[in-house]
Amino acid sequence: MANINAYNSRILCIYMSNSNVAQGKVRPGLKAGRSNEFTLINKLKPGGAERLRKKLASDSKFGSHNQVFADQIGTLHDLRFVIFDNDTRLLFATTFDGDWDAYIDDFAALVPDLIDLVFEEVEDYPGIKSPDIKDFIVKSQVTSTYFYSAYPDASVRDIRKAMKVKSGLDVLLDAASS
Amino acid sequence: MQNNQAVPTLDISDIQATVLRPRPSPYKGEYVVLRIDEAAQGREMLRRIIPYVATAEEWWVPSIPAWIGIAFTYQGLKALGLSQASLDSFPEEFRQGMAARASILNDIGENAPTNWEYPFGTSDVHVALAIYSKDDKSLEAVLKQARQTHSDLPGISVVYRMKFSELPEGRNPFGFKDGLHNPHVEGSGVNPPPGYAPTVKAGEFIMGYPDENGQTATSPEPEVLRRNGTFVAFRKFHMRVAAFRKYLRDQASSPEEEELIAAKMVGRWRSGAPLVLAPEHDDPKLGKDPNRNNDFSYLDDMNGLKCPFSAHIRRVNPRDALKDDLVAVNLHHIMRRGINYGPPLPEGILKDDGVQRGGVFLLVGAYIKRQFEFVQSQWVTDGNFIRQGTEQDPIIGNNEGDGIFTIPKRPVRRRLHGLPRFVVVRGGEYCFMPGLRALKWLARFHDKDYNSKTL
Repeated sequence: MANINAYNSRILCIYMSNSNVAQGKVRPGLKAGRSNEFTLINKLKPGGAERLRKKLASDSKFGSHNQVFADQIGTLHDLRFVIFDNDTRLLFATTFDGDWDAYIDDFAALVPDLIDLVFEEVEDYPGIKSPDIKDFIVKSQVTSTYFYSAYPDASVRDIRKAMKVKSGLDVLLDAASS
Repeated sequence: MQNNQAVPTLDISDIQATVLRPRPSPYKGEYVVLRIDEAAQGREMLRRIIPYVATAEEWWVPSIPAWIGIAFTYQGLKALGLSQASLDSFPEEFRQGMAARASILNDIGENAPTNWEYPFGTSDVHVALAIYSKDDKSLEAVLKQARQTHSDLPGISVVYRMKFSELPEGRNPFGFKDGLHNPHVEGSGVNPPPGYAPTVKAGEFIMGYPDENGQTATSPEPEVLRRNGTFVAFRKFHMRVAAFRKYLRDQASSPEEEELIAAKMVGRWRSGAPLVLAPEHDDPKLGKDPNRNNDFSYLDDMNGLKCPFSAHIRRVNPRDALKDDLVAVNLHHIMRRGINYGPPLPEGILKDDGVQRGGVFLLVGAYIKRQFEFVQSQWVTDGNFIRQGTEQDPIIGNNEGDGIFTIPKRPVRRRLHGLPRFVVVRGGEYCFMPGLRALKWLARFHDKDYNSKTL
């Protein structure tokens, strides 16, 4: 019984977040609980796909820095870069906590090179420090038709904390039963 | 972020006093809001009031017994007849007004704009006047002068007035010594006591100078309008002093514990002594000493055992507490000009007396969105930035009797439950506070024989 109620309440949560778009609200992107989906689709410059593969390789600067980068941001559940349509287009998709534009000034100030490194392969990209960056993002953003999150009310930090607590609890229980 | 540029000289004879100088102490004053129904009359009123507007240069030795600050909302600039092109050049949040930004600011429940006092949240708020003085006589004299600038103009209406005055010992209605910190503006001509580092680039608070990104504001247009101007988020709130006292009484088993819990929620003791420097007992000498009471860092309190992560001052001004996260705190400073209104609630009273008391903050910054709106949405009404989930600011957050407040402690943290709303927003608006030359331009730009170069 409890499981069905939880299931129903999650469906309700997603339904409500979809109606944000149905009501024609200005903000693109869908919400599920505290999570936001954010999808950008852009045209790649000629040769951009090849350069991007090298830049995102696991032994590259970006590839070896990205965990630290993402950990310090602390609000990204996941992110992916997908090159498709015969190397002509780039899809960037992420799920994160909070509003994308709240921290954009901070990213532009602190890690402009990492963001520019990837997006400079995209047509019409003005650079993260450009005053047109927010317009560029909004133009590139495609709102999902449907968005599901396995833990809509938990932020990345909540989840990490919970995992730490579980580890600690396991140690405690093991010690208590030995 | 440190540019090796020369420190720009601030044109303090052109910048309004409120932007750079604290209000006098002791203070008495009034806020007045006007609505302009006829553009030419609005500009005439402005012409008349300009001689009384205080500049940052005059603040210390004023030639008049009281000081006036003047600011305009988007609706007010429109009512003055500013061109559509100029109006459109203002940032979106200013054009929308504070009430329309409620979902970003999380102004919900009792803080929702539908509950605000008239005229806040409506399009009737055009001109905001802040009138400060040291005593009743001077205040009355300047109020008379201010009234004369528009009393014979039927197209100008007073839509709001409120009096305010300093409480004994400069305490706020909750009994706390307030106003102990503000960002130090580079080039402002004042040497601050220790603890105000780092100095903040002038462009964060005044347009026309480089900001913390090394950029100089390019909007609004035209340049004569924006130079030496800034934005002010005006916010009036009611403070539920009895509810605050009652909550402390219910949570504590002694008067000493009540004081400790109150200090944990604020981040300072009532005397002003910061928890980071006085974690277990108040230190009134420290609280009184301006050379020490603001000189602290969170680096020796990264586990929050002295000052909780969720405490009010740690939230609205994190200093170095967020150094391990990707956040540029230097982009999110606010200059806060606060006053209190209403009589104090007598000591020992735990039942609300129905009297209006609280504060009005003028939150000054050149970038409403990444300053006031960022602090309100990311640091006050949410807890994720400090790994506290959805926990909000214990003093000014949206707590509806279900609020929680976490006090880190060894061996086990203490968590308070059932926090009610202690502070209620009664109204607010985004205003533009122009420099003196800009005010003169606003009063004259419509005149056929007007040439801005003669200013």
